[in-house]
Amino acid sequence: MNADKRGWRMALVPDALLNAPPRARAALPDVLEALESSGYGVLHLPPPGRHSLLLAVIADQVAEYGHHGYAVVAIGRRTRSGDGLHWRRLAPLLRHRNVALPPRHIIHAAADPEVEGLRLTAFLAAYDLPVEGQRRWRV
Amino acid sequence: MEPKTPRRVALLANCLLNQNAKVCQGAHYRGLVSPVVEALRSRGYELLQLPCPELAFAGVRRWWAVYEQYDTPAYRSHCKHRAQAIAPLIEQHLRRGDELILIGLDGSPSTGVRFTSSKPEWGGRPNRPQDDWEVVPRRGIWIEELEAELARRGLPPVPATGWALDMGRYDEAGSRRDLEEFLDAQ
Repeated sequence: MNADKRGWRMALVPDALLNAPPRARAALPDVLEALESSGYGVLHLPPPGRHSLLLAVIADQVAEYGHHGYAVVAIGRRTRSGDGLHWRRLAPLLRHRNVALPPRHIIHAAADPEVEGLRLTAFLAAYDLPVEGQRRWRV
Repeated sequence: MEPKTPRRVALLANCLLNQNAKVCQGAHYRGLVSPVVEALRSRGYELLQLPCPELAFAGVRRWWAVYEQYDTPAYRSHCKHRAQAIAPLIEQHLRRGDELILIGLDGSPSTGVRFTSSKPEWGGRPNRPQDDWEVVPRRGIWIEELEAELARRGLPPVPATGWALDMGRYDEAGSRRDLEEFLDAQ
Protein backbone atom coordinates (compact mmCIF):
# COMPACT_ATOMS: atom_id res chain seq x y z
CA MET A 1 0.00 0.00 0.00
CA ASN A 2 0.99 3.61 -0.55
CA ALA A 3 1.10 6.90 1.26
CA ASP A 4 -2.53 7.85 1.12
CA LYS A 5 -3.23 10.62 -1.41
CA ARG A 6 -6.89 11.40 -0.72
CA GLY A 7 -7.78 15.07 -1.07
CA TRP A 8 -10.43 15.11 1.74
CA ARG A 9 -12.72 17.20 -0.47
CA MET A 10 -15.53 16.24 -2.81
CA ALA A 11 -18.47 17.69 -4.72
CA LEU A 12 -22.02 16.62 -5.31
CA VAL A 13 -22.36 16.93 -9.08
CA PRO A 14 -25.62 16.69 -11.05
CA ASP A 15 -25.85 14.32 -13.97
CA ALA A 16 -26.40 17.28 -16.30
CA LEU A 17 -22.89 18.53 -15.51
CA LEU A 18 -21.12 15.18 -15.30
CA ASN A 19 -22.64 13.97 -18.56
CA ALA A 20 -23.44 17.20 -20.37
CA PRO A 21 -24.52 16.44 -23.95
CA PRO A 22 -21.92 17.48 -26.58
CA ARG A 23 -23.93 20.54 -27.69
CA ALA A 24 -24.25 21.85 -24.13
CA ARG A 25 -20.62 21.12 -23.30
CA ALA A 26 -19.23 24.01 -25.32
CA ALA A 27 -21.32 26.44 -23.28
CA LEU A 28 -20.14 25.08 -19.92
CA PRO A 29 -16.86 24.95 -18.03
CA ASP A 30 -15.33 21.46 -17.86
CA VAL A 31 -16.45 20.61 -14.34
CA LEU A 32 -14.61 17.27 -14.15
CA GLU A 33 -11.37 18.91 -15.17
CA ALA A 34 -11.84 21.65 -12.56
CA LEU A 35 -12.56 19.05 -9.86
CA GLU A 36 -9.59 16.93 -10.89
CA SER A 37 -7.13 19.82 -10.87
CA SER A 38 -8.50 21.03 -7.52
CA GLY A 39 -8.19 17.56 -5.96
CA TYR A 40 -11.90 16.95 -5.43
CA GLY A 41 -13.76 13.67 -5.73
CA VAL A 42 -17.25 13.33 -7.22
CA LEU A 43 -20.55 12.26 -5.71
CA HIS A 44 -22.78 11.80 -8.75
CA LEU A 45 -26.39 12.92 -8.40
CA PRO A 46 -28.94 11.19 -10.63
CA PRO A 47 -30.80 12.89 -13.50
CA PRO A 48 -34.22 14.46 -12.76
CA GLY A 49 -36.72 12.00 -11.26
CA ARG A 50 -37.75 10.70 -7.84
CA HIS A 51 -34.82 8.37 -7.04
CA SER A 52 -35.88 8.24 -3.35
CA LEU A 53 -33.79 5.19 -2.50
CA LEU A 54 -30.71 6.42 -4.34
CA LEU A 55 -30.85 9.89 -2.78
CA ALA A 56 -31.05 8.29 0.67
CA VAL A 57 -27.98 6.19 -0.18
CA ILE A 58 -26.14 9.32 -1.30
CA ALA A 59 -27.21 11.16 1.87
CA ASP A 60 -25.76 8.28 3.94
CA GLN A 61 -22.43 8.76 2.16
CA VAL A 62 -22.44 12.53 2.66
CA ALA A 63 -23.23 12.01 6.36
CA GLU A 64 -20.36 9.58 6.78
CA TYR A 65 -17.95 12.04 5.16
CA GLY A 66 -19.39 15.04 6.96
CA HIS A 67 -18.96 13.39 10.35
CA HIS A 68 -15.33 12.46 9.73
CA GLY A 69 -13.46 15.57 8.59
CA TYR A 70 -14.23 15.63 4.86
CA ALA A 71 -15.33 18.78 3.04
CA VAL A 72 -18.37 18.38 0.80
CA VAL A 73 -19.69 21.02 -1.61
CA ALA A 74 -22.44 20.97 -4.22
CA ILE A 75 -22.14 22.30 -7.76
CA GLY A 76 -25.33 23.00 -9.66
CA ARG A 77 -26.18 24.30 -13.08
CA ARG A 78 -28.92 26.90 -13.30
CA THR A 79 -31.54 26.03 -15.93
CA ARG A 80 -35.27 26.65 -16.27
CA SER A 81 -36.00 23.29 -14.64
CA GLY A 82 -33.71 23.81 -11.63
CA ASP A 83 -30.09 23.23 -10.71
CA GLY A 84 -29.96 19.40 -10.82
CA LEU A 85 -29.09 19.08 -7.14
CA HIS A 86 -32.40 17.50 -5.95
CA TRP A 87 -32.14 19.96 -3.05
CA ARG A 88 -35.79 19.73 -1.98
CA ARG A 89 -35.33 16.02 -1.32
CA LEU A 90 -31.66 15.91 -0.39
CA ALA A 91 -31.68 18.73 2.19
CA PRO A 92 -34.16 17.04 4.57
CA LEU A 93 -32.34 13.73 4.18
CA LEU A 94 -29.10 15.44 5.24
CA ARG A 95 -30.73 17.32 8.11
CA HIS A 96 -32.23 14.05 9.32
CA ARG A 97 -28.66 12.67 9.45
CA ASN A 98 -27.38 15.73 11.37
CA VAL A 99 -25.21 16.96 8.52
CA ALA A 100 -24.71 20.62 7.70
CA LEU A 101 -25.91 21.38 4.17
CA PRO A 102 -22.95 21.60 1.78
CA PRO A 103 -22.22 25.06 0.34
CA ARG A 104 -23.63 25.39 -3.17
CA HIS A 105 -21.98 26.87 -6.23
CA ILE A 106 -24.25 27.45 -9.20
CA ILE A 107 -22.99 27.60 -12.77
CA HIS A 108 -24.97 29.95 -15.00
CA ALA A 109 -25.50 28.26 -18.33
CA ALA A 110 -26.04 31.55 -20.16
CA ALA A 111 -22.78 33.13 -18.96
CA ASP A 112 -19.31 32.99 -20.54
CA PRO A 113 -17.98 29.45 -19.86
CA GLU A 114 -14.47 30.74 -19.31
CA VAL A 115 -15.64 33.18 -16.64
CA GLU A 116 -17.80 30.45 -15.09
CA GLY A 117 -14.78 28.13 -15.08
CA LEU A 118 -12.70 30.68 -13.21
CA ARG A 119 -15.51 31.25 -10.70
CA LEU A 120 -15.79 27.51 -10.15
CA THR A 121 -12.04 27.03 -9.69
CA ALA A 122 -11.89 29.92 -7.22
CA PHE A 123 -14.81 28.46 -5.25
CA LEU A 124 -13.19 25.01 -5.12
CA ALA A 125 -9.82 26.42 -4.07
CA ALA A 126 -11.29 28.56 -1.32
CA TYR A 127 -13.42 25.93 0.38
CA ASP A 128 -12.32 23.55 3.10
CA LEU A 129 -13.18 22.74 6.69
CA PRO A 130 -11.88 25.03 9.43
CA VAL A 131 -8.34 24.06 10.50
CA GLU A 132 -9.45 22.57 13.84
CA GLY A 133 -11.87 20.26 11.98
CA GLN A 134 -9.08 19.16 9.68
CA ARG A 135 -6.62 18.53 12.54
CA ARG A 136 -9.06 16.28 14.36
CA TRP A 137 -9.39 13.79 11.52
CA ARG A 138 -6.72 14.23 8.89
CA VAL A 139 -3.77 12.40 10.41
CA MET B 1 -39.68 10.72 -35.04
CA GLU B 2 -36.14 9.43 -35.52
CA PRO B 3 -35.01 6.59 -33.25
CA LYS B 4 -32.69 7.70 -30.45
CA THR B 5 -29.00 6.91 -30.91
CA PRO B 6 -27.81 4.46 -28.26
CA ARG B 7 -25.62 6.10 -25.67
CA ARG B 8 -22.43 4.59 -24.26
CA VAL B 9 -22.60 4.45 -20.48
CA ALA B 10 -19.91 3.27 -18.06
CA LEU B 11 -21.01 2.08 -14.63
CA LEU B 12 -18.11 3.03 -12.38
CA ALA B 13 -16.97 1.78 -9.01
CA ASN B 14 -17.62 4.65 -6.62
CA CYS B 15 -13.97 5.24 -5.75
CA LEU B 16 -12.92 5.65 -9.39
CA LEU B 17 -14.65 9.04 -9.18
CA ASN B 18 -13.92 9.63 -5.52
CA GLN B 19 -10.78 8.26 -3.91
CA ASN B 20 -11.98 9.55 -0.54
CA ALA B 21 -14.12 6.42 -0.41
CA LYS B 22 -11.05 4.19 -0.20
CA VAL B 23 -9.99 2.41 2.94
CA CYS B 24 -7.21 4.24 4.85
CA GLN B 25 -3.88 4.09 2.92
CA GLY B 26 -5.70 2.93 -0.20
CA ALA B 27 -6.11 6.25 -2.05
CA HIS B 28 -3.75 6.62 -5.02
CA TYR B 29 -5.26 9.92 -6.24
CA ARG B 30 -6.67 13.01 -4.54
CA GLY B 31 -10.14 12.68 -6.07
CA LEU B 32 -10.83 11.27 -9.53
CA VAL B 33 -8.83 8.38 -10.96
CA SER B 34 -7.99 10.52 -13.96
CA PRO B 35 -6.68 7.82 -16.38
CA VAL B 36 -10.01 5.98 -16.15
CA VAL B 37 -12.05 9.14 -16.64
CA GLU B 38 -9.89 10.24 -19.60
CA ALA B 39 -10.08 6.83 -21.32
CA LEU B 40 -13.87 6.77 -21.00
CA ARG B 41 -14.61 10.37 -21.93
CA SER B 42 -12.33 10.25 -24.97
CA ARG B 43 -14.42 7.33 -26.24
CA GLY B 44 -17.71 9.12 -25.66
CA TYR B 45 -18.85 7.26 -22.55
CA GLU B 46 -21.22 8.85 -20.06
CA LEU B 47 -20.41 8.05 -16.44
CA LEU B 48 -22.72 6.49 -13.88
CA GLN B 49 -21.21 6.23 -10.42
CA LEU B 50 -22.23 3.21 -8.35
CA PRO B 51 -22.73 3.56 -4.59
CA CYS B 52 -19.91 2.42 -2.29
CA PRO B 53 -21.42 -0.22 -0.02
CA GLU B 54 -18.35 -0.54 2.22
CA LEU B 55 -18.39 3.16 3.10
CA ALA B 56 -21.99 3.12 4.28
CA PHE B 57 -21.66 -0.25 6.03
CA ALA B 58 -18.34 -0.04 7.84
CA GLY B 59 -17.56 3.68 7.58
CA VAL B 60 -14.83 5.77 6.08
CA ARG B 61 -12.44 4.73 8.90
CA ARG B 62 -12.99 1.01 8.37
CA TRP B 63 -10.25 -1.60 8.66
CA TRP B 64 -8.92 -3.34 5.61
CA ALA B 65 -10.84 -6.55 4.96
CA VAL B 66 -10.96 -9.49 2.56
CA TYR B 67 -13.83 -11.18 0.72
CA GLU B 68 -14.47 -13.75 3.45
CA GLN B 69 -14.93 -11.05 6.14
CA TYR B 70 -17.57 -9.23 4.10
CA ASP B 71 -19.31 -12.44 3.04
CA THR B 72 -22.05 -12.23 5.67
CA PRO B 73 -25.86 -12.16 5.33
CA ALA B 74 -25.97 -8.60 6.74
CA TYR B 75 -23.44 -7.22 4.26
CA ARG B 76 -25.05 -9.04 1.34
CA SER B 77 -28.42 -7.62 2.34
CA HIS B 78 -26.87 -4.12 2.57
CA CYS B 79 -25.37 -4.56 -0.93
CA LYS B 80 -28.70 -5.81 -2.26
CA HIS B 81 -30.39 -2.66 -0.92
CA ARG B 82 -27.75 -0.49 -2.66
CA ALA B 83 -28.25 -2.50 -5.85
CA GLN B 84 -31.99 -1.85 -5.69
CA ALA B 85 -31.27 1.88 -5.39
CA ILE B 86 -29.16 2.08 -8.55
CA ALA B 87 -30.75 -0.71 -10.64
CA PRO B 88 -33.67 1.43 -11.93
CA LEU B 89 -31.21 3.81 -13.63
CA ILE B 90 -29.25 0.91 -15.14
CA GLU B 91 -32.47 -0.75 -16.27
CA GLN B 92 -33.63 2.45 -17.93
CA HIS B 93 -30.43 2.57 -19.99
CA LEU B 94 -30.55 -1.11 -20.93
CA ARG B 95 -34.23 -1.00 -21.94
CA ARG B 96 -33.46 2.05 -24.12
CA GLY B 97 -30.77 0.05 -25.93
CA ASP B 98 -27.79 1.97 -24.58
CA GLU B 99 -24.39 0.27 -24.58
CA LEU B 100 -23.36 -0.32 -20.99
CA ILE B 101 -20.08 -1.45 -19.50
CA LEU B 102 -19.03 -1.88 -15.89
CA ILE B 103 -15.63 -0.86 -14.52
CA GLY B 104 -15.02 -2.27 -11.06
CA LEU B 105 -11.95 -2.35 -8.89
CA ASP B 106 -9.88 -5.48 -9.18
CA GLY B 107 -8.59 -6.84 -5.88
CA SER B 108 -11.41 -5.26 -3.89
CA PRO B 109 -13.43 -7.54 -1.58
CA SER B 110 -16.59 -5.72 -2.69
CA THR B 111 -16.04 -4.22 -6.13
CA GLY B 112 -13.63 -6.73 -7.68
CA VAL B 113 -14.66 -7.88 -11.15
CA ARG B 114 -11.91 -10.21 -12.37
CA PHE B 115 -10.20 -10.55 -9.00
CA THR B 116 -10.98 -10.14 -5.34
CA SER B 117 -8.86 -10.34 -2.18
CA SER B 118 -9.00 -13.48 -0.11
CA LYS B 119 -7.63 -14.75 3.20
CA PRO B 120 -10.02 -17.05 5.02
CA GLU B 121 -7.94 -16.86 8.23
CA TRP B 122 -8.25 -13.05 8.59
CA GLY B 123 -10.18 -11.95 11.66
CA GLY B 124 -9.77 -10.66 15.18
CA ARG B 125 -7.13 -8.10 16.05
CA PRO B 126 -6.02 -6.34 12.85
CA ASN B 127 -2.27 -6.93 13.09
CA ARG B 128 -1.60 -8.83 9.88
CA PRO B 129 1.69 -8.22 8.05
CA GLN B 130 1.59 -6.16 4.85
CA ASP B 131 0.44 -7.86 1.61
CA ASP B 132 -0.67 -10.92 3.54
CA TRP B 133 -3.83 -11.47 1.50
CA GLU B 134 -4.18 -13.35 -1.77
CA VAL B 135 -5.74 -12.26 -5.02
CA VAL B 136 -8.16 -14.82 -6.43
CA PRO B 137 -10.18 -14.79 -9.68
CA ARG B 138 -13.68 -14.00 -8.45
CA ARG B 139 -16.22 -11.15 -8.24
CA GLY B 140 -16.37 -9.05 -5.07
CA ILE B 141 -19.51 -9.25 -2.91
CA TRP B 142 -21.02 -5.96 -4.17
CA ILE B 143 -20.58 -6.87 -7.82
CA GLU B 144 -22.10 -10.31 -7.16
CA GLU B 145 -25.15 -8.71 -5.56
CA LEU B 146 -25.47 -6.01 -8.22
CA GLU B 147 -25.35 -8.57 -11.03
CA ALA B 148 -27.87 -10.74 -9.17
CA GLU B 149 -30.25 -7.76 -8.91
CA LEU B 150 -29.93 -7.01 -12.63
CA ALA B 151 -30.56 -10.68 -13.42
CA ARG B 152 -33.67 -10.64 -11.16
CA ARG B 153 -34.97 -7.84 -13.35
CA GLY B 154 -34.41 -9.96 -16.45
CA LEU B 155 -31.60 -7.75 -17.73
CA PRO B 156 -28.66 -9.05 -19.74
CA PRO B 157 -25.19 -9.18 -18.18
CA VAL B 158 -23.15 -6.00 -18.64
CA PRO B 159 -19.61 -6.46 -20.07
CA ALA B 160 -17.28 -5.82 -17.17
CA THR B 161 -13.66 -5.36 -16.23
CA GLY B 162 -11.74 -4.04 -13.26
CA TRP B 163 -9.22 -1.27 -12.78
CA ALA B 164 -6.38 -3.01 -10.91
CA LEU B 165 -6.05 -0.62 -7.99
CA ASP B 166 -6.24 -3.12 -5.14
CA MET B 167 -3.95 -5.88 -6.35
CA GLY B 168 -1.07 -5.22 -3.97
CA ARG B 169 1.29 -3.31 -6.26
CA TYR B 170 -0.38 -0.67 -8.39
CA ASP B 171 0.77 -0.34 -11.98
CA GLU B 172 -0.99 2.65 -13.53
CA ALA B 173 0.43 2.22 -17.04
CA GLY B 174 -0.44 -1.49 -17.10
CA SER B 175 -3.95 -0.80 -15.79
CA ARG B 176 -4.45 1.85 -18.46
CA ARG B 177 -3.37 -0.52 -21.26
CA ASP B 178 -5.65 -3.17 -19.90
CA LEU B 179 -8.64 -0.83 -19.73
CA GLU B 180 -8.03 0.57 -23.21
CA GLU B 181 -7.89 -2.95 -24.67
CA PHE B 182 -11.21 -3.73 -23.01
CA LEU B 183 -12.82 -0.51 -24.23
CA ASP B 184 -11.55 -0.91 -27.77
CA ALA B 185 -12.95 -4.45 -27.90
CA GLN B 186 -16.49 -3.23 -27.16
